[in-house]
Amino acid sequence: MIKFDDLLNKFKDRVIILDGATGTELQARGMPEGVCPELWCLDNSSCIQGIHDDYIEAGSDIIYTCTFGANRFKLSEYGSSNIEEINAALADIAKKAAGKNCLVAGDIGPTGRFIEPFGEVDFDEAVEAFKEQARGLLKGGTDLIVIETQLDIQEARAALIAVKEISDIFTMVSMTYESSARTLGGTDPVSALITLQSLGADAVGCNCSTGPEGMIPLVRSMQPYATVPLVAKPNAGIPKLRQGKTYFDMEPDQFCAHARDFISSGVRLIGGCCGTTPAHIKELRRSTSGLTAKEPAMKSLSALSSAQKTVFFQKNSPLVIIGERINPTGKKDLQEELLQGKTGLVKRYAREQTLSGAHVLDVNVGMPGINEKEIIRTVVKDLAISSHAPLCIDSALPEAMEAALRVYPGRALINSISGEETKRDKLMKMAKKYGAMFILLPIGGKKLPKSASERIGVIKDIFSVARDYGFTREDVIVDALTFAVSADQDAAMETLRTIHWCADDFGCMSVLGLSNVSFGLPERTWINSAFVAMAISGGLTHAIANPLSTEFMNVKRAADVLMKRDRQAKDYISHFAGAKDGPGSGSKGMNKAQAKSSIPSGQSVYNAIVEGNRDEVISLIEEALHAGLPPHTLVNSHMVPAIREVGDLYDKKIYFLPQLISSAETMKKGFEHLEPHIRKDERLSAKKGKILLATVKGDIHDIGKNIIALMLKNQGFEVIDLGKDVPHRDIIDAARQHQVDIVGLSALMTTTMVNMKEVVDLSRKVGLACKFMIGGAVVTRSYADSIGAHYAKDGVEAVKLAESLMV
Amino acid sequence: MLERSSPIFFRSISIPVPKKAIYSRLGYRKSHTQLSDKDINHIELYVDQAVDLIELKGSAVVLPVDTIDNDILRLKNNIVFESSHLAGMMKGCGFVLLMGATAGRRIMDEIENSSAAENLSRGVVLDAAASEMTDGALDWITGYVNQGLRRKAARLTEKRYSAGYGDFSLENQKIIYDLLKMHELGVSITESYLLVPEKTVTALAGVFASGL
Repeated sequence: MIKFDDLLNKFKDRVIILDGATGTELQARGMPEGVCPELWCLDNSSCIQGIHDDYIEAGSDIIYTCTFGANRFKLSEYGSSNIEEINAALADIAKKAAGKNCLVAGDIGPTGRFIEPFGEVDFDEAVEAFKEQARGLLKGGTDLIVIETQLDIQEARAALIAVKEISDIFTMVSMTYESSARTLGGTDPVSALITLQSLGADAVGCNCSTGPEGMIPLVRSMQPYATVPLVAKPNAGIPKLRQGKTYFDMEPDQFCAHARDFISSGVRLIGGCCGTTPAHIKELRRSTSGLTAKEPAMKSLSALSSAQKTVFFQKNSPLVIIGERINPTGKKDLQEELLQGKTGLVKRYAREQTLSGAHVLDVNVGMPGINEKEIIRTVVKDLAISSHAPLCIDSALPEAMEAALRVYPGRALINSISGEETKRDKLMKMAKKYGAMFILLPIGGKKLPKSASERIGVIKDIFSVARDYGFTREDVIVDALTFAVSADQDAAMETLRTIHWCADDFGCMSVLGLSNVSFGLPERTWINSAFVAMAISGGLTHAIANPLSTEFMNVKRAADVLMKRDRQAKDYISHFAGAKDGPGSGSKGMNKAQAKSSIPSGQSVYNAIVEGNRDEVISLIEEALHAGLPPHTLVNSHMVPAIREVGDLYDKKIYFLPQLISSAETMKKGFEHLEPHIRKDERLSAKKGKILLATVKGDIHDIGKNIIALMLKNQGFEVIDLGKDVPHRDIIDAARQHQVDIVGLSALMTTTMVNMKEVVDLSRKVGLACKFMIGGAVVTRSYADSIGAHYAKDGVEAVKLAESLMV
Repeated sequence: MLERSSPIFFRSISIPVPKKAIYSRLGYRKSHTQLSDKDINHIELYVDQAVDLIELKGSAVVLPVDTIDNDILRLKNNIVFESSHLAGMMKGCGFVLLMGATAGRRIMDEIENSSAAENLSRGVVLDAAASEMTDGALDWITGYVNQGLRRKAARLTEKRYSAGYGDFSLENQKIIYDLLKMHELGVSITESYLLVPEKTVTALAGVFASGL
């Protein structure tokens, strides 16, 4: 077994060569298809030993045990349950081959299952399964562990936690990425790196899925943020298919053409995955000889991660907002939901806060009568799926804190660790184990430190303990403490002095629970907003606040600009430019002033319909009527031509479906507003015809039919809509009862399309004289012809067809 | 990889939002369609709302092939699929992957609500997003399975085939639904073999390998 520094010291600063593929090599050397590779290797140990020997001969410094799938989930498919023994035996084979000059990495691959919150396997069950495998590998004498080809960050975490809970052996973790540069679970390389290196991985990287060329950008994206060495094991190119078999055809020299790029991108450990052979490794050894490995780019890093996103904390960046809304205090609805174990509101609060600008979400479920440990675990799991924002876990109960940190698939922020000794030590161990950052709360004893100097003393004391646990200033955010100015008007000044000291003297980040400052005062937003501006100027880096407060957030954005923290005012401009161009504010090629001042009122209504301007159509109609335009002129000379123009634009593909419908809805809204005038005017109230619409029996798809109904109504047809899954007899009865001119039928599936014919046949049988028009995804013109119906491919064509049928 | 007798469930599938496919499904043509900032803002907002409402889940199972005749694909557990197109696609495959994915109920409720609230333009965007995301979930499942197969020098057929395509009748949906135990994902099947929620899809792909 080897420890981190020993391993790296052994190789000094040279590149460490790993081995190549095992699976494809076993197949090339005669392993039959369909067998369990691990069990087959135990029965055919000379084959795997030969592979190990050849990789060592080729120049591998580290070889992997053939235990990729030797976990309880996979081996049980082959009826095996003695996991430890199998792993130990395979590790022993590798150790014997390695001798003294090569190291052996115990290989842990994915289980093939998804772990909660992304799958159904309980997180702790997964940890236990990996422990079982790791124990076997350690028993077999492996020098280090490699957790590889992971496509789910939570599974990689479970495996890493398992190994670290039984040993401090050097452990590498390697993820596999799709062409989208994310794992199948949606994790990007940087977020995986942040999560895994903070969790204690000694080296992090990627393997499989892609060839060397495709892997270099992944490695490059990680390099600036790595505090540990990087690992790369690409495939021998992209697999190709020949006679139903996959093969890799990248030759060793092509494979190694990128070796220097890997090393210059920060890779320290390099080998090959699927399709690579001892020849590839030999060439890799040759092509990297003499190259010096780079040191990791960073010693420590201020960043939080979720499964899909990283938020970096950098000095002189815009104030980081930690959304405070997921907290049941004073929220009855949320209290009731949490007591029932539901998380609908939590997810809504998360969504609203991130849309309003929260970078991180504070999660607090503490209240009387709740099983906080269980509920916070549920909430954290649900948020890990539904929100990309990293989480700040806010609990006074250490056991609830641990439950949340253990299951959270990212690097979280602990809120908070104070100077209370027993709890402090417990929480610091926890933060270290799960790789969390923490908020340092400068409260040491029973008395709250009122002055900045008292707070500074406590901060120094707590940080000194944190340093002994291995934390750096980058891991810590100091709470400068906020007290109500209504009770003590010096309170805000003392807080600001603490913030200044953190920024200028101590060199750490700071945070405030801002809203406390205004407690007891009316119109609290103004106090909060003024205070945030002052605190930003003093160097505050984080605020726990309500991002839904527009005033607060706008003042924060302005203060970020004024303090040069929002470079070139990018965030500010983008926020307010977005607001200006937001829904309902603009129109194609024309601004509101133009629309109102220089365009005749009938034309304005025409434009509103063409542009789908639902928000303004009624006021424009009112203006037109007020200007003396008669309703029938408005309808016949402006509104109907407008909707026809929209139909033409749609036919020419200049408009697409949302624009067509938006215009149709604008027209409908206009019509409804004119309803009292229309009723009085015979020229307008006459209907073009009566149409009955239905989605046929057995079919539940009706959005297409709803579009047709909207468009027909706009063109002056009376529409009777029977809905979806309508029995044949109901259609016939309604058609007869309403004496309709046309029956329109819709179907999406081939199985339900046949019901159209049955309805048409039945109507003829009972002597119904109306015409039929049909449409839907699977319906064709020839099918319509075959059943004696007319066909329309979309809403625009349906209107034209209906009009022609009425002639 | 996958168990061969019972399906594996994916309780939360996370995929990049296929915006290009959503726009394309709505009829957007790059060389023709003209969008104002307001149009884009609305559509982007609706797509974001759809993504919040869609809860992609899926299941998959790999079954060994027994025989493939001209128009019959027979699996070893006595499952028989009659379709010359499907049988042709599976030629040379030792296994068949059955997979299913659903966007869940919340998005369907919201599409109905939008239509009822006379905001059909929102409804069609939500609908298109749900369709494309569900298809994307099947891509995700094939990616997941291919990942496991790659190490065994095996892979899935490029294409997949669904009940209701060509001569593969929709009645087979019931067999696929049962094999995938889709009721555990909150999906039901109607008498006319439609899957509910509406945005639910199933498909078959072949595995080029005689053993896994």
